[in-house]
Amino acid sequence: MRLVPFRPMSARSEVPAAFRNAAGNPGPVTLVRDGIADIRSRRRLVRYLVQADAHKRGADTLLGNIWWVLDPLLQMLVYVVFISIIVPRPQPDYPLFIFSAILPWKWFSASVTDATVSIVSHDQLIKQIQFPKIVLPVAATTAGIVSFAFGTVALGLLMLFFSDRITLWLLFIPVIAVVQFVFTLACSFLVAAGNVFFRDLGNVVGHLLRLWWFLSPGLYSLASLDDISFFKDHRVLTTFANANPFAILFEAYRSVIYGTATSPPSGPPNMQLLAILLVASTVFLAFTTMVFKRLEPNFAKVI
Amino acid sequence: MPLLRRPPKLGLVRDMGYAIGATDLGVRYDLRFTKKTTIRSSIGQMLGRGEVQQFWALRHLALHVRRGESLAVIGPNGAGKSTLLQVLAGIIRPSEGAVEVFGHVSGLLTLGAGFDKELTGRDNILLGGAFLGLDDAVTHELLPAIIDYAELGDFIDAPLRTYSSGMRARLGFAIATSVDPDILLLDEVLATGDANFREKSKARVIQIVSAAKAVVLVTHDMNWVTEYCNRAILIERGELIMEGEPADVVELHRAHTEEARARTVEEAQKAGLDPRIVRGR
Repeated sequence: MRLVPFRPMSARSEVPAAFRNAAGNPGPVTLVRDGIADIRSRRRLVRYLVQADAHKRGADTLLGNIWWVLDPLLQMLVYVVFISIIVPRPQPDYPLFIFSAILPWKWFSASVTDATVSIVSHDQLIKQIQFPKIVLPVAATTAGIVSFAFGTVALGLLMLFFSDRITLWLLFIPVIAVVQFVFTLACSFLVAAGNVFFRDLGNVVGHLLRLWWFLSPGLYSLASLDDISFFKDHRVLTTFANANPFAILFEAYRSVIYGTATSPPSGPPNMQLLAILLVASTVFLAFTTMVFKRLEPNFAKVI
Repeated sequence: MPLLRRPPKLGLVRDMGYAIGATDLGVRYDLRFTKKTTIRSSIGQMLGRGEVQQFWALRHLALHVRRGESLAVIGPNGAGKSTLLQVLAGIIRPSEGAVEVFGHVSGLLTLGAGFDKELTGRDNILLGGAFLGLDDAVTHELLPAIIDYAELGDFIDAPLRTYSSGMRARLGFAIATSVDPDILLLDEVLATGDANFREKSKARVIQIVSAAKAVVLVTHDMNWVTEYCNRAILIERGELIMEGEPADVVELHRAHTEEARARTVEEAQKAGLDPRIVRGR
């Protein structure tokens, strides 16, 4: 086989001399490697897309910033009022207890929701320019980090009211966030590619997310499930509840932010579970990258 | 390397001056997915209701473009012209056959869509450069020239949604042609803008062609075809009908269009209808 001669251009485009044909389905390893190469070579495009997203949501204006900080706090307020009505004696320091779950969940749900439409909303561009489509869900997920960062400002404000719970373990939040990011990215690839072929996926995703939130120990603690008789009778449900990635994540965030109900100062999270989740998420991410890259050539036709 | 599954290589050599070569090109659309599909309808299909339809937008198409050539692609609406450009740009992978492209392809196939309506013209140029895969330094270098060429003036720092369609098209054309491509693909862009900008864009396309770079152009402007293109192909219903001198191809296209029109009138008359009468309330 003779290589296609390649002459570098003054204005370098990353789509070089090419030979395209109908045959040839690259293997899983190639697909994943291509996906990683796509993202690496288009880092700047991801950055611009994230900046554009932040700009559109008004994160670069003072008033916009205030809203981004207020938003999770207001959501927390709604839940505190709601839960205080239906549950006579909630957890001590309940606002902080649920805020440690609201903060990561808002990031996850916003990222997945945005990723769902990330491909189809760029339909015009996809039909006009050849570029790696994988950057779009990556940008949607990365843009969520901005709101997460503002959420930590809100957390800082909230911690002032619960100063006896402040410890150095708060600095561990970014480590948990990395695990969450890997898992979120994997989910984003799946829904972004799926929505191209099934346009009503957004409806399903919205409801699934809501269900997932209430099934995850955000408003309640994982331990409190043991008090429910239905769970006592069906131990398999408890196993499922413990295997939920967001059970692991929420409990980890909660132990570094809130601690436990009985001992106020926070402590280390369950490192073993976090490590397992990180490995599992990485495998999941490799799988969804492969699915995405396999479906990618069809996007321009279907969209 | 999936060497064995490759169709025979085209055997084009860059030294011979080829920019594009395609053999037995075919693009198949699966109509199951081109309609806006939903999970509900797919489940219906899985249960056996509704059959899978396939549609060949292009088939058995062979063509080659030499460097310095300007190839016009003409044909009626829905003939597969834009699909051909999408294949050449690498946006669609062919379902059959192969394409070989020597050099860097650039082209906004339908100009004027812009990149992001909420961003300013300047940000759109940077974003556009990133989408096209340009180096950041290169985009910044090109920035003043693009702004100047697109004649946007102070509007460059206003959001794209405030632009007129002409301004958007000018910006798109300026970005697409700033890249200094080996191969430029243009789809119906010469008719945009005022007379002044049309002249400018013509001059730019001629300049690119003369710089030993290939242009593939889809247009309905037959004057442009005969005046500025070296060669033309006529595509009808996804198949190559004729390839040759622009004047001859345009002539055949005219004849076919006339025929088609006459056929419509004849059919209408056979059905006892005057085609000039439009029924309605």
